[in-house]
Amino acid sequence: MAEQFYTVASDSETTGEEKAQQTFPDVAIGIDIGTSKCSVAVWNGHQVELLKNTRSQKGMRSYVMFKDDTLSAGVTGGATKEHAHEERDVLSGSAIFNMKRLIGRMDTDEVVQASKTLPFLVQTLGIGVRPFIAALVNNMWRSTTPEEVLAIFLLELKALVEMHYKHPVRNTILTIPVAFSRFQQTRIERACAMAGLHVLRLMPEPTAVALLYAQQQQQLLHDNMGSGIEKIALIFNMGAGYCDVAVSATAGGVSQIRALSGCTVGGEDILQNVMRHLHPNFDSLFAGHTMDRIKSMGLLRIATQDAVHKLTTQESIEINVDLGGGQKVSKVLGRAEFEQVNKMIFEECERVIKQCLHDAKLAPEDINDVILVGGCSRIPKIRSLVLGLCKKADSYASIDVLEAAVSGAALEGAIASGVTDPSGSLDLLTIQATPMNLGIRADGDTFAAIIPRNTAVPARRDMLFTTTHDNQTEALVAVYEGEGKQAEENHLLGYFKITGIPAAPKGAVEINVCMDIDAANVLRVFAGVVKPQGPATPPFIEVRMPTLDDGHGWCGQALAKMYGGNLDLAVLPKKLQP
Amino acid sequence: MAAFASTAAVVVAGPVVLPCRKGARRCVAARAIAAAVAAPAVAGRTHYEVLGVGAGASRGEIKAAYRRLAREVHPDAGSGDGEGFIRLHAAYATLSDTDQRARYDREVAALFRRAAAPASFRRRTWETDQCW
Repeated sequence: MAEQFYTVASDSETTGEEKAQQTFPDVAIGIDIGTSKCSVAVWNGHQVELLKNTRSQKGMRSYVMFKDDTLSAGVTGGATKEHAHEERDVLSGSAIFNMKRLIGRMDTDEVVQASKTLPFLVQTLGIGVRPFIAALVNNMWRSTTPEEVLAIFLLELKALVEMHYKHPVRNTILTIPVAFSRFQQTRIERACAMAGLHVLRLMPEPTAVALLYAQQQQQLLHDNMGSGIEKIALIFNMGAGYCDVAVSATAGGVSQIRALSGCTVGGEDILQNVMRHLHPNFDSLFAGHTMDRIKSMGLLRIATQDAVHKLTTQESIEINVDLGGGQKVSKVLGRAEFEQVNKMIFEECERVIKQCLHDAKLAPEDINDVILVGGCSRIPKIRSLVLGLCKKADSYASIDVLEAAVSGAALEGAIASGVTDPSGSLDLLTIQATPMNLGIRADGDTFAAIIPRNTAVPARRDMLFTTTHDNQTEALVAVYEGEGKQAEENHLLGYFKITGIPAAPKGAVEINVCMDIDAANVLRVFAGVVKPQGPATPPFIEVRMPTLDDGHGWCGQALAKMYGGNLDLAVLPKKLQP
Repeated sequence: MAAFASTAAVVVAGPVVLPCRKGARRCVAARAIAAAVAAPAVAGRTHYEVLGVGAGASRGEIKAAYRRLAREVHPDAGSGDGEGFIRLHAAYATLSDTDQRARYDREVAALFRRAAAPASFRRRTWETDQCW
């Protein structure tokens, strides 16, 4: 198989299409790694092309099957082996899936806790370290990590693209959920690096959709059907793992992200709620991970998945499943009951949308188009909820629910690779915004946001701080990301010390902390003493964030225990600032 | 592809050094300090000059100018390193907000008055000198 990647077609075989492909060998590919399904798309010189696997699927199930000494990911779906994987094989305990929900999370995270009912093993100790995950191979649990699983999947995905275009692939644009922390982003990048892929950009999913929307609006303008005036779009994306909302203002091919918000709620939660509803002893029954229990858990999952899908078009569904061991589930589930069971999820979606509209300083009346994407946007309750909040009768129609994000990523891939199109269909730009506040710990345990959320990227902001003790010579800069008012409620990204601060009474020294995010979303923090100036002050420090690796849940506490408030900073009151 | 060899490669990969990204720029501390003391008119250019619009420009004109220039200075679309876009966005963010724009206009006017006053004073002395 491997030698096929570099097969050079002879001259007589070179068609016009292949010539066009050869023009852009370095174009970055767009990848949408979904919790449930993945897809890959490439700008082929004329348009975005979604690639199909050997089973002719554009959306490929996200999993990696562990068997004896071979591994196969959902890209080929085991099609090259004796038989293709069925969903029941994926749920047999031998496959790892839902990587996107697990990656970069600590074992205290509630998402990891909720993943313990999956067929494969997710073991937690609840102490703020990486969870232990393992797949069943020959009746033994074999350990792995979400990064490794993702890397194996990406390797297969990369091979698919290389086979199709007959040249090596290096650069990629990946879509990620808005709710991903910077720490999780580094994990995704590491998985890509393991698979030999270089990440040009990590794009929040709804912003990729916004780029596609901008292209479509430009196309309408070219065809003299658009008005050219600014259009406000609310993009709602909900897949199996995450829910994201973005508000974008689009005109002239430029789509400016006005606000972003997201949460870790998706189809997986809906599925688990329904499973618990159908089988009240669900948690206690499946906690043991014995062979027969894994099997009945798989059967229940398949039946529930099927029911949830059918309820998008049917008013009610009859579920009859024999779980083995004398356990049966037979029930008629109506749509109203389904909606009652998932009430909390719909409320959370509502909160995220309201938050996004509030942050964008817009009223529902200002919205021109409501774009619904992701598998869960097919659920009637979700549709009516989003449209209701935006006071719209219908959603934007000319976008594919499952292909929009990956198509946007492929467009960004072409733009970021410097490809231009004579017809102007790549004259596009998305002005990204930061999804979360970035700041440092100051005034005790308070979180001082330096770059507030929804700031346009690239961005640079700074803030002045001062010492909290007389003759304080060292200060700790602890960098956090999140929405909490207290520093400890947020994600700790890293920390460093400013040393050699000139001796002075407390509050007399001015320390500047500057945060810089470049177009590739790399965060750098600069800090140093700005007053008093002179040869006695130390040079500034530049630190690329995040600096922390695993177990960062502990670091904040360890720092507090070690230093107390000795190295604390305080925000310099505005009246003292120049 | 699914053979064990490829898996082994993944496992062995171990400590991964992330390649330096395209467009990553080093920002010196001095520049950070310069940004810290950002006065209304940095380096002699007002927000209006950055956007290339007149002082009486409407919100629509400001928005259009922002979009047009963003396509030139944003690192994703043009050849900028981000500095230009940060300046442009700061100008746009101030002028697109009615309150902030009014405050900015007052500050700039005050700045020009202060700058103008000593100049006219000097000119008068120069004229007096000439009379002598």
